Amino acid sequence: MKEFMMIFVGADYADLGLSPEELQNRMGKWFAWGQKMEEAGILRGGEALTPNMRRIVGENRTVTDLTSAEVKEIVGGYYTVAAKDFDAVQDIAQDFPDYDLGGTVEIREIMVFDR
Amino acid sequence: MKTKLIDHLFRHHSGKMVSVLTRIFGLTHLEIIEDAVQDTFIKASISWRKQQPEHPEAWLTQAAKNRVLDILRKISAEKKHIPSLKCGIEAITIKDLFLDSEIEDAQLRMIFTACHPKLHAKDRIAFALKTVSGFNTKEIASALLTKEDTIKKRLSRARKAIQNNKLQFKIPQGKALPERLESVMEVLYLIFNEGFHSNQKKQLVRKELCGEAMRLSQLLLKKEDTRTSENYALFALFCFHSARLDSKINTDNKILDLKTQDRSLWHFPLVELGNTMMTKAVKSNSFSCYHYEAAIAAEHIRASSFESTNWDKILHWYQCLNNLQPMPTHILTMAVVCIQNNDLETAKKYLNDLNPESFTQRAYLYYGTLADYYTAANQLKKAIINIDLALETVTNSQEKEYLQKKKEALLKATS
Repeated sequence: MKEFMMIFVGADYADLGLSPEELQNRMGKWFAWGQKMEEAGILRGGEALTPNMRRIVGENRTVTDLTSAEVKEIVGGYYTVAAKDFDAVQDIAQDFPDYDLGGTVEIREIMVFDR
Repeated sequence: MKTKLIDHLFRHHSGKMVSVLTRIFGLTHLEIIEDAVQDTFIKASISWRKQQPEHPEAWLTQAAKNRVLDILRKISAEKKHIPSLKCGIEAITIKDLFLDSEIEDAQLRMIFTACHPKLHAKDRIAFALKTVSGFNTKEIASALLTKEDTIKKRLSRARKAIQNNKLQFKIPQGKALPERLESVMEVLYLIFNEGFHSNQKKQLVRKELCGEAMRLSQLLLKKEDTRTSENYALFALFCFHSARLDSKINTDNKILDLKTQDRSLWHFPLVELGNTMMTKAVKSNSFSCYHYEAAIAAEHIRASSFESTNWDKILHWYQCLNNLQPMPTHILTMAVVCIQNNDLETAKKYLNDLNPESFTQRAYLYYGTLADYYTAANQLKKAIINIDLALETVTNSQEKEYLQKKKEALLKATS
């Protein structure tokens, strides 16, 4: 088994003007997805990220504070899962709830070093 | 673990939170409050993905309390002054405002604000759905079959009217109450009808509007000052109509009339609730339009088949309704009832009293009924002429299809 990270990229919920009802429905889908992975015993970890962002760039270490509205697409969170290969993770990622909002799932394999 | 929250929990809590916070900070700060509440739900929706709290409602109420300080900070930063909270909360402390009874009180204040006569009639519905019911503009637009931009305009016009007229966040007292209550019931009635009569294909949206109207009407019945016989009658009417909601549409999403509905699909617990409410409603001596409309709806529900409908009684209630509130549509319906009852003479008398122009865009209803009359009177050529007139004025595609079918049947009968 290898470990993979699913990274969620898209607009911030706050910038989409979702209604309480939509938020509740969406949350239900996320919850169900998380449960499903948990029950399958493949979930290794995951976090959601707030939209506040401080960026430090270049040799001068230039600092900028950004809001999600300025960036449009931000990393909203990630899950790490255990799976055989990319195809298996692709299957898991079918249940990601926010494709209809223009969301993206980026699958990356976690590198393992030889001891 | 519990995986499912109560349906519409967020939506209903959004209305509660906006109302309570408005009671604390006043209508002037409504926009800041709405943003703060929205933000709370975004946070909840993300942090609850992993684990839902054991008591979601208590969690949300606590979150609303936590927002008080945030909002206070925001208002003082933006407006450069600290709002005087004293006038808003009078003698009770902020904590007490989050008690269930006080939340209900705040919601009633919001309903009365949304239905204030200073607001344009159309703006009231949109504003009520937004602030009391927690719909967003997209949902309101889809429920009312209107463009989102139009709804945005209505909402901003409502907000302006509230600010310009310096409306107070209060339940009216004394003499002002009955009149204001009437305006509230009218808005609830309209919200319900939007759901019940809309030709919206999405059944869900229709049910939600009906559900909201019922929920708000129940809220009025909980409080002694707003518990009136009219309101009982209105709630009874909602119950009788809602009982039929599932049978109004067939599996192809086609609208079914009373004649073709599967009566076994009617929801009888709602009928019983309606009957209980009606018993309370008729304890008063004076009857309102809602009383008569509920009586008509009850009469339809009482019939086990379309054929066994007691048309005489229905006609009687329509006559009462029309005496109280004369309207061309009532007279037209009386004509329809007479046609059902094979009393063509009286039907004709009612039809002669009417003028198609008074129905404006709905003139097709008048011509359609006239066509039915001539069909019943076996004057098929005249019936076809009127069906054609109806087809000329109809805009809704489902109604059009319905009329077209009638016309084909008539053409067959005459050929």
